[in-house]
Amino acid sequence: MGLLTNKAALLTGALALSAAAHSADWELALDLRAVSSDGRESFLDNGQGKLRFDADHEGIQLGRVRAALDQPLGEVFSAHVEASVWDADDKNPIDLTEAYLEYRPYPRAGLRSRVRLGAFYPPMSLENRARGWETPYTITPSAISSWIGEEIRTVGIEGQFEWLGTRTGHDFDLQLTAAVYGWNDPAGTMLSAHGFAFHDRQTTLFGRVGAPQDNPEFAKKELFHEIDDRAGYYVGAQARYLDRAVLQVLHYDNRGDPRVEAPAIRDFAWYTEFDAVALRIETSSDWTVLLQALDGHTIIVPFTWLTWEFDSQSALVARRFGAHLLAARYDRFEVGFQGDPDAAVSETGHAWALAYSYENGDHWRFALEWLRVRSDVPARVEMLGEPSLATESKIELSARYALSGRF
Amino acid sequence: MALLAALAICAPVFAAPLSVTVLKRDGTPLAGAVVSAEAESPAAAPAPAVQGIMDQVNLAFVPDVLVIPVHSTVQFPNNAPTSHQVYSFSSARSFQLPLYRGKPYPPVSFDQPGIVTMGCNIHDNMLSYIVVTSAQFFGRTGQKGEWLAPEVPPARYRLRVWHPLLNEPQDLERVVEAGAGRTPVQFRLTKALKPAPLSGRPHSWDY
Repeated sequence: MGLLTNKAALLTGALALSAAAHSADWELALDLRAVSSDGRESFLDNGQGKLRFDADHEGIQLGRVRAALDQPLGEVFSAHVEASVWDADDKNPIDLTEAYLEYRPYPRAGLRSRVRLGAFYPPMSLENRARGWETPYTITPSAISSWIGEEIRTVGIEGQFEWLGTRTGHDFDLQLTAAVYGWNDPAGTMLSAHGFAFHDRQTTLFGRVGAPQDNPEFAKKELFHEIDDRAGYYVGAQARYLDRAVLQVLHYDNRGDPRVEAPAIRDFAWYTEFDAVALRIETSSDWTVLLQALDGHTIIVPFTWLTWEFDSQSALVARRFGAHLLAARYDRFEVGFQGDPDAAVSETGHAWALAYSYENGDHWRFALEWLRVRSDVPARVEMLGEPSLATESKIELSARYALSGRF
Repeated sequence: MALLAALAICAPVFAAPLSVTVLKRDGTPLAGAVVSAEAESPAAAPAPAVQGIMDQVNLAFVPDVLVIPVHSTVQFPNNAPTSHQVYSFSSARSFQLPLYRGKPYPPVSFDQPGIVTMGCNIHDNMLSYIVVTSAQFFGRTGQKGEWLAPEVPPARYRLRVWHPLLNEPQDLERVVEAGAGRTPVQFRLTKALKPAPLSGRPHSWDY
């Protein structure tokens, strides 16, 4: 709890800088779902299913309740808070997904810097570009973005340095990012426990996420903890061509000491390191092509070195017709334990998603998605007595209503 | 005398139309190009200063391009519900308007000719231009790619053409004698335009 208190103090300090000189912008959104699913028991419920809504969670479901606040603090500081309700049985009925203070001074001579302090997403997903870190293309993000939402959060400080070429007569903008953070030592736990999954649920800062265990008591994990008192870092770069193409690379290393255990949360400091690259191209004829790739490893040393290598690639094509959007996506993913693809805690799989959405104005968005995930997970045989190979499908309808205003 | 009077009515020798047509590389008209005609010989004073308005509506600057004579002022009202931080670091005029809504600041003056690129520090998709000119005649081409100055006094003029999406290796300029009779001038681009900014995406896409 001491670690949690430290994290809360960092967030509180970041958000309580000074009296507000400007009124705040707020947003509320309710996202309801109608689900038809043949998914195996979900990873959220101590299973090895890949979907958020399994066969026992069909019908009307809560997608998300989201409350967001942007509060300017003086001229160049602002505070951003994102709170969400995901499931009725979560540890905290409402909890934060992001909360940070931003320093954004004016650009000078084509150069701009930006600093964020608090808890936020690293600049990794060109897919989850919409408010609340959601994807506008489908309901369920790719395996890569699903995993980021599940296990990755920067709790620390990030600096960004940007050359605004498009404001000085050039066709390119360039951005460099570096961050130092803590409280992300358990990152990797979920990949080792259930591999990649496909879901839009973002783990909250003080919440938990399910992990299949023989003993259900151990099944819920808290992910944002400092265990080894070693800060992690990431460095990244982004290049933009006008507003048409974005290329992003990121190297992430939480510098976890894999020999350090945290008995209080029954977890280790997972040493997780990965590279991520993403490319998004948008055309005048309203086509979008989005390619993503992730490659990394996570290690713990309970008695000997245990290494999981993981990688995933994703390709999405979307076409916008005014307020209508059609999207198709293919994902493949792989987790290999000790270099052995047949090990119980290894997996391979791929997934297809097709989605139609309609968003007109600032209030309503409707989306319909078909998702099929085919995965080979040997752990299903050993832990659950199920066949290792599973094909899970779902059809999901989302209706989201958003309201915004200012105090 | 009657003959002279008739000549004076039918053919005024003090001014004549100047029309400029701008075509893209493929020969189709380029709408929205800024055209200016500045008298070089004999030189003349710039057009009288004006008070312009660059509005901010629905997370966009309106208009996207504003052309003003040098020494003009421009007001930047923000009629959107969202606050903006307007900046320019162009050499012709650098300024910044700290976070605001409504119309809290006095107009900004533009005393040097050139292209001023403006952005919003909060919303990077917002982009607009102010063209500050010392010319006597200026405007933007219409849908047919044509701009017309109905009455231009006789002089040697430097014509300049500019558009935000222009991709030409050199500035588009030409010196012409105009004002003695109807002077049609045509510019044709040698390169394709840069892609226009994307539009129509829901605002919720920008996080």
